[in-house]
Amino acid sequence: MKITCVIPAYNEAKNISLVVSGVRPFVDEVVVVDDCSRDDTFDLAKQAGAIVFRHPLNRGQGAALQTGNDYALEHQADIIVHFDADDQFLASEIKDMVAPILAGRADIVFGSRFLGKKSNLPTFKKYLIMPLARLFTRVILGIKLSDPQNGFRALSQAAARRIRINNRGMAHNSEIQIKAFQEKLRIAEVPITVVYHHFGQKLAGGFKVIRDLLIHKIIK
Amino acid sequence: MLQQIIAIVIIIFFVFRLAAQKKKKIISHNEFSLWLAFWLVAAAAIIFIKQIDRLVAWLGFSGSGINFLIYIAVLALFYLIFRLQLDHAKMDKNLTEIVRQITLKK
Repeated sequence: MKITCVIPAYNEAKNISLVVSGVRPFVDEVVVVDDCSRDDTFDLAKQAGAIVFRHPLNRGQGAALQTGNDYALEHQADIIVHFDADDQFLASEIKDMVAPILAGRADIVFGSRFLGKKSNLPTFKKYLIMPLARLFTRVILGIKLSDPQNGFRALSQAAARRIRINNRGMAHNSEIQIKAFQEKLRIAEVPITVVYHHFGQKLAGGFKVIRDLLIHKIIK
Repeated sequence: MLQQIIAIVIIIFFVFRLAAQKKKKIISHNEFSLWLAFWLVAAAAIIFIKQIDRLVAWLGFSGSGINFLIYIAVLALFYLIFRLQLDHAKMDKNLTEIVRQITLKK
């Protein structure tokens, strides 16, 4: 089973070497998609041993992930792991993420911050943004997942072929979840740890996600 | 009456400007036709404002004709912005696809 880790990166020179070296022991191949960074992300990722691509224009995290997926699928990856470049996730948890797919129990695995393991989630995010996001994804989108916004996920080759990411921005997260349910994929959630170095997506970002989802639904 | 004359003068100014743009080939024939039709409809609405008043009253609205025209204009603007946003999103999607193909050198 060939496991490819796709890491979208934008101006992550500070973390990318550490992240790539951390991930490499747990996967067969690390693909970094540099989303037109203005710093040394590209060179550092290459030096750390990743296969690196560079978008000639900044297109957003969703676009970078799909570029990575396209490459991985073309090179016969059996499992694709999506991993953030900002050193928020623990590389050692990749084995937990791919386990349900390896065992044949799931087609797609979503990481969750709310299934036991402790993440140092900012209070405002924990008690306001996340409950609102969860309510929205449950009631409006019909997604029953404990973590509505988590970038740590693993997809089987079949799942990656059936889920094409059209939202180039942060709405890709919800888009992947929606498509996983629409395609009736076998879904698993795995507890993961997120180490926060910065606040991440704000409440206004949530409204942008809703707007982007709506627009892409119309232009589909 | 004075307001109607001012409005018509403004429209005439824009129609002349439009004709000049067409002459200099800044805009295409189709664009010229579209904008000319727009300004002619606007001029007709101003000239026949009394008839529009009566039409609005007949339709059961309490406001005057000019209010009705403003409401219609606001609705039209919202619709145009929405259409622009959709067109922009489609172009954006295509641009992302081109960037991806260049990146992966397909």
